[in-house]
Formats: sequence, structure tokens, C-alpha cells
Amino acid sequence: MSDPKDNIAPHDHATAANAPGEHTVPAGDAPDDRATTFQPVTGPQPEHYSGEVLLVSAYATLWVILIAWIALVWRKQSSLGARLTDLEREIDKAAAAKPQR
Amino acid sequence: MARPKSRSIDYAFYGLLAVTAALFVFEIFFVFLKTPIESRMGIVQKIFYFHVPSAYAMYVGATACFVGSLIYLVKPSDTSDALGRAGAEAAVTFGAIILTTGPLWGAKAWGTFWTWDPRLTTALLGVLIYVAYLVLRSFAGDGDGERRFAAALGIIGAANLPIIHFSVQKWGGQHPTVITGKGGGLQHPDMKIALAMGFLSFTLLAIALLWARTRVEITQSRLRRAEEDAIDLGLDTRTEA
Repeated sequence: MSDPKDNIAPHDHATAANAPGEHTVPAGDAPDDRATTFQPVTGPQPEHYSGEVLLVSAYATLWVILIAWIALVWRKQSSLGARLTDLEREIDKAAAAKPQR
Repeated sequence: MARPKSRSIDYAFYGLLAVTAALFVFEIFFVFLKTPIESRMGIVQKIFYFHVPSAYAMYVGATACFVGSLIYLVKPSDTSDALGRAGAEAAVTFGAIILTTGPLWGAKAWGTFWTWDPRLTTALLGVLIYVAYLVLRSFAGDGDGERRFAAALGIIGAANLPIIHFSVQKWGGQHPTVITGKGGGLQHPDMKIALAMGFLSFTLLAIALLWARTRVEITQSRLRRAEEDAIDLGLDTRTEA
């Protein structure tokens, strides 16, 4: 895993509580420069994450975990319940038949 | 043979599920359509309204595990063991949610998915204790010794809860303290309502899931006893449960 200091996005820096490190923005980052030149990153490469993608990923994970667990519990309860009902019916039948033997 | 009649309990359980589901629908609607976007972090801050209540739900599960474990050590019973196991499972489930949604927020706010911050580290440790509990119960058999050992783990896991909770105040770190300690709090009434709704819906969900999981364990115990009765009556009980 990379060092957090290497990955702070300049945009989000103000939001981080005690955010470590600074990212250096290359000189000449005006819109005109971007239209006429492509400049390589110098120093550690910043990572940019889309907030929308992260939010959707978080909610998807939340629901996948919850639904998977609920489905497992539901399936287990159904199979155990069915088995118990069958067995209790068999026991009742056998218990009723016993005195007649 | 006397068998428990559980019709009214079933209705209460399904009623709880229905209320929880309705609250979740309202919560999702409110968070996404009504609650304002945070000015500095943007839309990713909305993870907060589920992440923090999930952490709280993990505490609820861990507390249930602690109560079940403690009762089992004092007076062993199937019900207390079932509560302990259900609590551990809830703690792992909600712990998995906080350990995945938190880093997704951190990627945006901190620029990294994970850092060995005191809050993150102690939360991970807490979840691993409950994972150990479940691994023990799944693979080491279901005897009284295993149950007692797991109950001891359940108590150790609960001892970690205050350490998780106060780690930020005690050792600092990067984890936000918006609603605890010296945090400035939520600056809009809708943000407060969204968080309150999140706490309520996740508390009900945790209770519903604990209830459902405890029902499974109790049914399993009933099945075990029924199998013993069937053997006494000379019935074949080889069918897989």
C-alpha cells in the first residue's frame, strides 16, 4: 500500500483532518498551457477518485453485504424449519403408534 | 411433546422487518434527495449517513455478543449461546460494512484507502476478534468447552469497544470527530435528521438481524433435541438438516 503522503489530491486537501503532505502543482497549469502542451507529472503521482463512483461503490457494498447475510440466514432458517416440522410430524406419528404395538 | 407456539412472535418479527424496511426507504430518499451536499468534500460525504450508523450497529451486535457470552458463562443455555453467536455475526457483518465504506470515503478525503490510524486499527482488531469467534464456532465443534472459549472471546471483544470509541480522543489520528469530542457537528438541520434516521434504521436492522439469527440457533437446538427424541423412538434421522 502506498504512503498516504504520496496520494493527497490537491482539491481535497482542505477537507482532510490533519491531512499529511502537500502535492506540488506543476508550473504553467493555466488552461492555455493545457491546450498547447502536455506536461509529465513530476514527483509522486496524485490519485484522483470520483466521489460519485466511491459513493455508489460504498452503497453497493453495503447492500451486497446485508442482502447476502439476510439471504443466508433466511435459507438456513427455512431448511432447518422444514426439517424440524418433518421430524416432529414423524415423532408424533411414531409416538401415537407406539401404545398400539 | 410440548412445542413452542410462536405465531404472535412471528408477527412481531415480520412487523419489525416491515418498519425497518420502510425506514430504510425513507432514509435513502432523504439522504440522496433532501440532505445537502457537503461543501468541501462533495457528494462522497453522504457515505457518512450509513457508515456511522453501521459502526453503531456493530456496537449493538458486539454488546449482544457480550451479554450472551456473560450469561452463558454464568448459566449455560442454548438461548444465551445463540445470542452470543448472533451478536458476533452481526458485529462481523456491520464491521465489514464500516471497513469497506470508510476506506471508500478515505480515498476521496485523505487520498488513500487505508492508513494505520488508531480508530481504523482498533476497529479492524475488533472485527478480527469476532471473526475469530465465528471461526472457532464453525470449525471447533459445538461442545460446552468450545462454547465457553467462544464466550470468553465475546467478552474480550466487548472490552475492545471503548478502546475503539475513545481512540480518536486518546491518540488523535486522522479520523474525523464531527459528532464526537470537539467536533463542530453537522451544520444543517437536514444533515442531523439524516444521521438520526440512519441511527434509528440501523438500530432496528441490527435488532431484526439479531432476532433472525437467534431464531436460527434456537431452531437448530430444537432440531437437535428432536433428533434425539427420534433416535429414542427408533426413527431414522439421517436426513441432512
